[in-house]
Amino acid sequence: MDSALIPKGVKRCPTWQFALWIGAAGAVLLWGVFAMLLCWFKGLNQTNMNDSYGFALWIWADLAVIALGGGAFFTGFLRYIVGKDELKNIINYAVLIGFICYSSALLILAIDIGQPLRGWFIFWHANVHSMLTEVAFCLTCYFGVLTIEYVPLILENRQIDKVPFFHRLGHNMHEIMAVFAATGAFLSFFHQGSLGGVSGVLFGRPFGYREGIFIWPWTFFLFTWSAAACGPCFTILITKITEKITGKKLVKQNVIELLAKISGWMIGTYIIAKIIDTWYWAKVTAPEAGFNLMDFYSNNPFYGIWILVLEIVICGVVPAIILISEKGRKNPAALMTALILAVIGPCVNRWVMVLQVMAMPVLTFDNWVMYYPSWQEVATTILPVAYGVILISLSYRYLPIFPQEQELNPEA
Amino acid sequence: MKEEQNHEKAKRFGMVIDLDKCTGCGACMVACMSENNVPFKEDESKKLDSITWLRVYKLTNGKPFPDAEICYLPRPCQHCGGKGDHGHSPCVSVCPATATDYSNDTGIVSQIYTRCFGCRYCMAACPYHARYFNWWDPVWPDGMEKYLSPNVSVRMRGIVEKCSFCFHRYQIAMEKAHYEGRGELEENEYQTACTQACPANAITFGDLNNPGHAVHELKKDKNAFRLLERLQTNTKVYYISSREWVRRAGDNYLEKEKK
Amino acid sequence: MKIDRRCFLSLGIGGAAGIALSPLPWKLADDSAIWTQMWPWTPVPADGEVTYVKSACTLCPGGCGISVRKVGNRAVKIEGIEGHPVNDGGICPLGLSGLQLLYGPTRVKSPLKRTGERGEGKWEKISWEEAITEVSKKLGDLRGKGESDSVACISGSDKGTVPALFKRFMSVFGSPNFMRMPSIQDSYEIANNVSMGFIAQSGFDLEKADFVLSFGSGLIEGWGSPVRMIRANSSWRKAGVKVVQVEPRLSNTAAKSDKWIPVNPGTEYALALGLAHVIIRESLYRKDFVQAGALGFIRFRDLILSSYSPESVEKITGVKKETIESLAADFAKSERPIAICGRGQGKAQSSLGELLAVQALNALAGNIGREGGVFAVNDPAYIAWPAYQADETAAAGIKKERIDGAGSVKYGFAKSLTNRFAGAVNSGAPVSLLFVLESNPLYSLPDTKAVKDAFKKIPFIVSFSSFMDDTALNSDIILPNHVYLERYEDVPATAGLSKPVVSLARPVVSPQFNTKHAGDVIILIAKEMGSPVADAFPWDDYQACLEGTAGDKWKILNEEGFSSDPAFTAQVVNTFPGKFDISGGIPDFTILFASVSHEGDPKAYPLFLMPYDSFRIASGYIGDPPFVIKTVEDTVLKGKDILVEINPATAKANGLSAGSYATLKTPKGSARVKINLFEGIMPGLVAMPRGLGHTAYDNYLAGKGINVNELIGTVEDPASGLDAAWGIRANLIKA
Repeated sequence: MDSALIPKGVKRCPTWQFALWIGAAGAVLLWGVFAMLLCWFKGLNQTNMNDSYGFALWIWADLAVIALGGGAFFTGFLRYIVGKDELKNIINYAVLIGFICYSSALLILAIDIGQPLRGWFIFWHANVHSMLTEVAFCLTCYFGVLTIEYVPLILENRQIDKVPFFHRLGHNMHEIMAVFAATGAFLSFFHQGSLGGVSGVLFGRPFGYREGIFIWPWTFFLFTWSAAACGPCFTILITKITEKITGKKLVKQNVIELLAKISGWMIGTYIIAKIIDTWYWAKVTAPEAGFNLMDFYSNNPFYGIWILVLEIVICGVVPAIILISEKGRKNPAALMTALILAVIGPCVNRWVMVLQVMAMPVLTFDNWVMYYPSWQEVATTILPVAYGVILISLSYRYLPIFPQEQELNPEA
Repeated sequence: MKEEQNHEKAKRFGMVIDLDKCTGCGACMVACMSENNVPFKEDESKKLDSITWLRVYKLTNGKPFPDAEICYLPRPCQHCGGKGDHGHSPCVSVCPATATDYSNDTGIVSQIYTRCFGCRYCMAACPYHARYFNWWDPVWPDGMEKYLSPNVSVRMRGIVEKCSFCFHRYQIAMEKAHYEGRGELEENEYQTACTQACPANAITFGDLNNPGHAVHELKKDKNAFRLLERLQTNTKVYYISSREWVRRAGDNYLEKEKK
Repeated sequence: MKIDRRCFLSLGIGGAAGIALSPLPWKLADDSAIWTQMWPWTPVPADGEVTYVKSACTLCPGGCGISVRKVGNRAVKIEGIEGHPVNDGGICPLGLSGLQLLYGPTRVKSPLKRTGERGEGKWEKISWEEAITEVSKKLGDLRGKGESDSVACISGSDKGTVPALFKRFMSVFGSPNFMRMPSIQDSYEIANNVSMGFIAQSGFDLEKADFVLSFGSGLIEGWGSPVRMIRANSSWRKAGVKVVQVEPRLSNTAAKSDKWIPVNPGTEYALALGLAHVIIRESLYRKDFVQAGALGFIRFRDLILSSYSPESVEKITGVKKETIESLAADFAKSERPIAICGRGQGKAQSSLGELLAVQALNALAGNIGREGGVFAVNDPAYIAWPAYQADETAAAGIKKERIDGAGSVKYGFAKSLTNRFAGAVNSGAPVSLLFVLESNPLYSLPDTKAVKDAFKKIPFIVSFSSFMDDTALNSDIILPNHVYLERYEDVPATAGLSKPVVSLARPVVSPQFNTKHAGDVIILIAKEMGSPVADAFPWDDYQACLEGTAGDKWKILNEEGFSSDPAFTAQVVNTFPGKFDISGGIPDFTILFASVSHEGDPKAYPLFLMPYDSFRIASGYIGDPPFVIKTVEDTVLKGKDILVEINPATAKANGLSAGSYATLKTPKGSARVKINLFEGIMPGLVAMPRGLGHTAYDNYLAGKGINVNELIGTVEDPASGLDAAWGIRANLIKA
């Protein structure tokens, strides 16, 4: 039925099957949209956030998807700036995933603020000292860049490509993509960093606060680094999942291994930096504020030292070792384990940097406050996942996302 | 003349709260709510979404019966000056929309309700929990909105609010002073609602920079302390307690720093 | 023109681009933001001219002066009057919230007549004429039948012109049953009557005392005149005055005191006697006072020396004998020590024995009737109305014995014993008609079930309440009074003050609803009844009565808002070197000085429930307005659950933990409660706040927590008829 739209030389599932799949994802999406509308019309009392948890699940989701979406800028950086040409075979997908992550982040932000209709005040009345202002500007600009990077892909759709104007537009855009990739990398460096700065600058919150250089706390650099390190892992992971679902090999192993190896070295160096940061924080920064390391990890029902071990050792050191070693990369199970751990790592990191910061009391006569999200928060957080699934499905079906697909699946 | 006034030394309004006198009666909290049109809901026992610009904390010394002790500690916004008193309060520096600001003339941290878009970053930044979000639309029972004061605008849902040191009272007092051709206020012309109401006279309010104001000397009391001084928030609310454990409860200390 | 897909697409994209580049989206964004800044459902308070009205607060017996800020014709803020002799600018949380009562949803907006069952909340609005005619007719019928003494009135206070008008009405109508809500005032009156021979209140010159020994009085938690007491506490802190608090629970007063002495509850009298023992034994008492002015000393001394040694007192009270020795010495060696009693806010009575034991300490210190000491204070003197002509019915009626027995042979020292009211009615004392004035007896009296039963036996209940409180809800007709901010009324402040003050409540705003001043209503009812009742009310209306009563002080009251002229307010009785009978002339000391035996089997009820008073929970006639209930901590009230305080040791013994639910059982009833662990309470005790568990009022208060009165009963003090219960035996069972 929709065969005219499907790229030449590839096989796609029957329309009814596709419709069913989209329908299922669409139902989840609608559930999320319903929750979103509740939040907009009834207000944020629909959430389980409170005056102790001004930031909660949503901000974590924002930080996490942006970290994971970092695959787009870093792969682009490697492809266009460093010149790792093989990566052209995965860059489309990296861009798409990045686009989904960033648009989701913006949507979640629009739900998260108490006065969505005044959201643009962040640009109009911008306070240049605020990390959030930096985040908003860079995020929006980079989202623009990602859109520009994504548009040529859309234009490659068989039918659209037939229009000469769009054909030429697409071609010309490809020509200058390096410029945008460079811009994207530059913007990403700042907003990933400023997201790290969000809790790093909170000198009233010793759990999040880090010293740094000029206006930038160390978390500024750690966040950028970890996004660059783990973002590609997320791209690979999603590619692997897509391959699993479609039952096809879509990207050549050497491409994946190259990206995985770079990722491994990035994670390795990141985790060394993170360990140094943690050590300095535990030994110098926190004690200056009157805290021992263990004060941050005791007297509460959830946040034990295990979370630090999980983040640094299990989800940092372990995947780094696997990905750096050739044997590890070549072993499918080990590679998969490493990818999953490398994705969980920054998620845990963003979680503690948002939620544990909120949970921990600073006043001596205050208590730890635990939080669990309301269904509205969960639904609006799953909303982008459903939206991502739909966009990936549509893109995969109608756009030539994977340049190697035809070659790898010749029977089609 | 006018020039001179403008060049006069900047003010730093602040409080000294004598915890030895404070009885925890709660009059300051209610005076604040009543002065500042603070809304209320049917259930205010969920303290994490209960707007109390000034909240009285109950501190205990942690010892068992019969050595247990209690001390009450009223906590308004601390109006932090930040490191070096340059106005880089934890909250002001993070607000993305300049909806909260530090006044170098008065040392007061303001909040512009119509500009705040409710991102709550300032709440995350404040270690004193002095900032409150309007999770709900403010609703008064039919007829009760009659007591709302026009001096303080009613806040809409979805924004952050906090103690302003009753800044509207400063404005009204200044207007009156200007009208009478004065550039300066007398100490008693500008007092916050909580200071005025406190039955124990535990709260003293004034210009910390002005040697003529009571707070100027009181803050130097040997038993005076501030909350979380180690974080260099540089607050303008001082507390006095003759009890060692209460003074130590004002900040975090490492094991080895005990005594 | 044929519109193909390409054309459509171009048009669409071009159109979108065009709109995006036009000012439209920017304008829309701006307009929507402006809309959020002035949402129509977020109120904008109207501006207007700012004025201040000086008045007086009537929400408790404290008698504070208030200054109400108005904007246009709206009252927007209540503040204390600076320089007022009672509160000097200070004000309490309840006083600050008065406007929520004035404009609140609990107001009774017109006279109401019950149409459904009692308590069902079904009412019919009636006119004032109908209401007054109906009540007068009922009264007239009863009087005609010679049952005038079956009419009773329960009033929150007996001070001031409005209660005086009701009292006068009762007398000329022919009923002795004008009752005042029970409080520690009853105990002080009886104690003074016993020890000095006349009924008077006690006033304490606390600001000048140099040692304060309090037996459970919530000195800074609403005892006496609350703001004045907190101010006094601040002055003690400044002057280094030592305050010792004797109490089983670490109340705020105990927490603020220099020394907290936990004592087995109900044994305060024994500790006082133990202290007296040491003072007498060590000859530390003021011989000049005791010899010149105190009677009965020898008898008292012999009893104390033989039976209340520190060793035996330690056994009764649990207070170490060393503590008793040193405390006695500290007390007696001070220049102006004051011993004071009345648990919590003084809402409950105490036994005569406790009062006399504490008063004896003041006598031994010679600190009665002098600066920094205790005074006997007469009722306000300014109400002197011409005598009225009582007819036969009235003369016969007022000679009858009161329902509560006060003034009878058995309870001869008492003026009012409303604590006995419900019991008397339940055992057959006839009450055909009850006036309820500025009080909420159905809620406030202990043993709610008995009180409810008693009320069921009363065929006609007339409430004068401004609010739909628990009693008004269960009445037959409501004649709503103006709220204090809408009316003139004299406010005599007498609670514990050694220098009484009379303030004037003045209308700050015009009446908001179809209400009428209770003073006017009682005058109208009297006039409707005709002679001779009407003849006793020669005034046109209440205003004329008030102005006439104030006489030449009216001008001052109206201008200053208060008068503290002793000739006008009340006379402090000079007792020194007059008669003070330290033994109270009571022939049998064993009934006077005895531990209270509480209801219930100690095996079934191994714990004790004690009510406590909190400044943040109004437990009198007025319930907590929204602002005040907002200040209540979540360790006291969480959602609709009430939390009781117990020691962690008690919790462990009963298998309970912080925040867990339990069933609290007493011989009077049971309730579901939550547990709050508190190191500041004696093991074995369960503390519950007074003032919660209202069935009436608005959603901000009704249904929250438990009314402790449902769980406790009264225990009659055999020496006086006072209620001596400090709590009740109880048990906590994990739920």
